Amino acid sequence: MKIEPGQVIDALPGLIWTALPEGNVDFFNQRWCEYTGVATGDVGDHGWQRWIHGDDLPGFLERWRKILASRELGGMEARLRRFDGAYRWFLFRVHPSIDASQRLAGWYGIAVDIDDRRREEEVLRASERELRQLFDYVPGMIAVADSKGQHEYANKRCCDYTDRTVEGGRGLGFLEDIHPDERELVRSEWLRCVALEQSMVIEHRLKRFDGVYRWFHVLVEPLIDDRGQIVRWYGLLTDIDDRKQTEAALGTVRSELTHMARVASLGALTASIAHEVNQPLSGIITNAGTCLRMLTSNPANIEGARDTAQRMIRDSHRASDVISRLRALFGKDEVTAELVNLNEAAQDVISLLLSELQRSHVILRREFATDLPPVLGDRIQLQQVILNLLLNASDAMSAVDDRPRKLVIRTERDAENRVRLTVQDAGMGLEQTTAERMFDAFYTTKRDGMGIGLSISRSIIESHRGQLWATANDGPGATFSFSIPALADAKVAANEGTASRSAGAGPRHVLRAS
Amino acid sequence: MGDQPLVCVVDDDESVRESLPDLIREFGFQVRAYSSAEDFLASGCTAHAHCLVLDMCMPGMSGLDLQRELARRNEDIPIVFITAHKDAAVRPRFSERGPVQCLLKPFSDTALLKALRGALAS
Repeated sequence: MKIEPGQVIDALPGLIWTALPEGNVDFFNQRWCEYTGVATGDVGDHGWQRWIHGDDLPGFLERWRKILASRELGGMEARLRRFDGAYRWFLFRVHPSIDASQRLAGWYGIAVDIDDRRREEEVLRASERELRQLFDYVPGMIAVADSKGQHEYANKRCCDYTDRTVEGGRGLGFLEDIHPDERELVRSEWLRCVALEQSMVIEHRLKRFDGVYRWFHVLVEPLIDDRGQIVRWYGLLTDIDDRKQTEAALGTVRSELTHMARVASLGALTASIAHEVNQPLSGIITNAGTCLRMLTSNPANIEGARDTAQRMIRDSHRASDVISRLRALFGKDEVTAELVNLNEAAQDVISLLLSELQRSHVILRREFATDLPPVLGDRIQLQQVILNLLLNASDAMSAVDDRPRKLVIRTERDAENRVRLTVQDAGMGLEQTTAERMFDAFYTTKRDGMGIGLSISRSIIESHRGQLWATANDGPGATFSFSIPALADAKVAANEGTASRSAGAGPRHVLRAS
Repeated sequence: MGDQPLVCVVDDDESVRESLPDLIREFGFQVRAYSSAEDFLASGCTAHAHCLVLDMCMPGMSGLDLQRELARRNEDIPIVFITAHKDAAVRPRFSERGPVQCLLKPFSDTALLKALRGALAS
């Protein structure tokens, strides 16, 4: 294919011109003339400048002068006026023409329409501006970190809260605003989550501009691209300080109520306790009298006196054991977590209750599972629940005279690896309306009850990640049961229960980059 | 020994059955101990006992149940009740024979001796 040089110049997809060494334009191609609407051959001296957008012209000319002085190729972007008056962005490229004797012979120039690309860039810039604005106006605190976990941006609310500039918290600088008590935990947890590419959930205190620390719930999730690479991390900080304070106040009220309930059940046990202590005391007094008589008789019965003294020691221990059990059950308020064997815990309660049950003509049957796994929890609180259920069951049968006052306490392991304790009575049973309300605080059907026992029992069991429920028996009476996770599961539950870490156990949440 | 009066102790608490007979023996009486009212009735001792030291509160037949059963059988044995419960409502004050001895645990050796002598004299 044979093409004339003139045809090539007009066929190229660009506006082409040439200029003399000092910069005066001496040629425009056909496309230039068609675009600008100037007559072919109308070159003028610097007439072309009128087609450059006024805003772009000073920069354009400065660049053009530098290229002329350097005698090297160069380029610049500017808007060029079309024949109809519309401006479009062009990329201007200029190339020096050097002749055989290395002298500058002139310049070749080409301008390519880049208007569409410029518009796309403009849209991108605008959307980024909008995103930042959105971040700033979202009623929450947002922080962004790069793929390596280095903090790079915080929204306006974040900056307003901490009184830091966006730059101030860069890298790991944001850690300085975290309360010293949680700082190290947050730092190590954050680095761990970044390394494992897991989202992070954590609670910590953050210093406000005025120096006050407030509690925040922080959720950080990775943004992941199509290839599965983490692009950046987004963190949402939620102020939960008010909630924390309410929780603390509720906790205080609950422990006070728990204490009240415990004191109330202590009152119900007074007669039983007196009896339990009286039995060995009575033995001691009898043995002491016998001992003295044996020693003072003639001849003295030393052998018999020794036996009675030994019985006194044994009975004293018996009395002191009762006191120890009482002190264990009623003497402390702080909550602890330990391994608890429900059989043993229940047996201790029963020991204190036996004579009370006997006095109420209750026949108690124990059906304890022999292979019961331990649970993790507060032994005293659990014993309080058991005590409450047994006393309720006994009370429910106080008016029963036409059948045995049979009480069954049973422990077992259920199919879901939970330990269940059941207390079954033969009392007055449940009425539908009662069944629905009896776990409410201050609801009671007893004349002398406060109505907080079952409500507190349920909250204790729920704090052990368990359930407490009641069912009506086939025959007379009702059955109350609670179940809590056996140890293997209880360990996990305990970890989740602590305030700050759940990243390891929970499902991995990610944001997907589209 | 055969002339000494026989005192029978009926109490479900083992430590009482250990300690009380020794003391009563020191007083100079013969003693036998039983862990329940049923055991005592089945022992055949009812005709020989001069006095009964009887716990009021026992599983199964209570002290008062035994008192009634003995009355029904016309077994005329004076009774010293012992109890750990202060509950006055269930304490027997009188029987057909007059005032009934009732000791509240814990009681002293002299209180028991006085009660036994009173019961045996009636």
